[in-house]
Amino acid sequence: MALLSLSEVNTFIDQYHILEGVDLAVGEGEIVALLGRNGAGKTTTLKTILGLTPAASGTIEFRGQSLTNRRPYEIAAGGIGYVPEHRAIFRDLTVEENLRIAEREKGDYAKRKDMILSLFPDLARLIELPGTKLSGGQQQMLAVGRALVPDNDLLLIDEPSEGLAPILIQQMMEAIKELSSDTTVLLVEQNFIVASRLASTYVIIEEGKSVHAGAMADLVDDDETIMRFLGAA
Amino acid sequence: MTSFAPTRASLWSRYRLVAVALIAAVAFPFIVGLLSGQSPAAVLAGEAGNAKFLQGLAIEVFILALYALSYDLVLGVTGLLSFGHAMFFAVGAYASGIMLKSFGWPFWVTFIGVLVAAVVNALLFGLVLPRVKGIAFALVTLGLSSVFFIVVQSSELAKYTGADVGLQGAPVPEWIDTNVHRFRVYLITLAALTIAYLIYRAIVRAPTGAVLLANRENEERALSLGYNTFWFKLFALVVSSLTAGVAGFLWTVQQPIVTPQVAGLGWTVAALLMILIGGVGTLTGAIVGAAVFRLLEYYLERWFGGTAPVLVGASYIAIVLFLPYGIVGTWRARTVNRRQGLDRLRRLFGIRARRSQ
Repeated sequence: MALLSLSEVNTFIDQYHILEGVDLAVGEGEIVALLGRNGAGKTTTLKTILGLTPAASGTIEFRGQSLTNRRPYEIAAGGIGYVPEHRAIFRDLTVEENLRIAEREKGDYAKRKDMILSLFPDLARLIELPGTKLSGGQQQMLAVGRALVPDNDLLLIDEPSEGLAPILIQQMMEAIKELSSDTTVLLVEQNFIVASRLASTYVIIEEGKSVHAGAMADLVDDDETIMRFLGAA
Repeated sequence: MTSFAPTRASLWSRYRLVAVALIAAVAFPFIVGLLSGQSPAAVLAGEAGNAKFLQGLAIEVFILALYALSYDLVLGVTGLLSFGHAMFFAVGAYASGIMLKSFGWPFWVTFIGVLVAAVVNALLFGLVLPRVKGIAFALVTLGLSSVFFIVVQSSELAKYTGADVGLQGAPVPEWIDTNVHRFRVYLITLAALTIAYLIYRAIVRAPTGAVLLANRENEERALSLGYNTFWFKLFALVVSSLTAGVAGFLWTVQQPIVTPQVAGLGWTVAALLMILIGGVGTLTGAIVGAAVFRLLEYYLERWFGGTAPVLVGASYIAIVLFLPYGIVGTWRARTVNRRQGLDRLRRLFGIRARRSQ
């Protein structure tokens, strides 16, 4: 049984119909890539899972339990971590405070501090600096690191490689690969090369609908589908 | 022996500024007294003169600072834009006046009554919290406080509130009468401000404070970390209302009359101005801002008379233009640069020192 499954999910933001029937399944231990063009509804899908933009209809199940009509903080507390796009850290807090605030249970941070800092060694020497003093790449690492503090069964990661220098993309990919060894990941990624190297399965979203899904290994050779839905090869 | 040193040092570094400010504040009336030819004994006895007068002004500054501090927690730290903040102050001021005068309650019972009223007031604001956000919250709170503003001025309640004239002659026990025991009231208001400041600082530095700051920056992110931000915002409102309520209580205790002005939008704007001048979200800025706000108003009025309001307005514009983060905020922002400069200098000398060896 899938860890997370969405079926016929529709979401409105104000009067706009953003998701018009999204189906997807994320199996335990997998990295699933959510692909699609700009504005297709990838970020909204993640936000809908978290309840930040609640679904108007359809079902969302996590570990067999429905998430619809649950408040975002309840969903998060149920074991879903979120790394929003655009380096979403708290700029007024220090690096350490940013990590500590993600504690769900006392001692989470102490328990995982070493693991996070070994994944992102840069953060160790910046630990007392406020978020404003971090470079874009460092902020992105902090945003991912923060999601690793509590005990999460599923991580929703939105555009981790966006705006990063190639060498940092490499580092970020290694980090995601490593953290996926004990966490399931649903990944939104514009960079197809990054997505194809990380994920084992994919779902393509086009104009708010999930239109294609399968094994990443098949998609890599399917130039036609890549061209049609992602506009790149 | 040495093992205690770091603790003592960190205690000192933590409270250094507060301690120095407190000593200066306590010494202030006596210094003014000496400068104007009054003996410390005369200052203590509350004899008329410069020292007594300036203490009166300082008492107002302390109460305003308490009020500004309470607004800084709501707006500056938590990021809730409330246009009805004056109501937090006015409920404290009016409740204490009515309880003392109309109900004839004892002083301490009244004080507890004010705290209860303040909590109820905060819960009323909390009621709309989950329903409206941002500017809508500002307008709804403005509406709530406007209702209060109109109600206290209604002629039906004149017996209690004094309608549009204001509430006069609330009986205050002799031991806290500001005309008799000026220095005592000065110390009491100073203590109230210091305690409130220390509590606020502890809140902001605690994990709760981090969540409040996180909420200010991006509520969605705080939610997605698993925080029910509602309770944190309500907590900020309750603490803020208690503080502003105590400020209103002290206002009634030492002012001969409580005018409806303290419930009006102008009073909320005053709080906003004070934290803008001092630096939004800095806490100390609220205190500095209150001092600048009151002293500027008083001295410009005294020196320039009728043209003072124009000059006051011009000074606010100048402050906002040249100190966009407020006095304390700008100072802090520059501290980082100053430190970096000093570090660079030290490193420079460090290299030289090594070479010379």
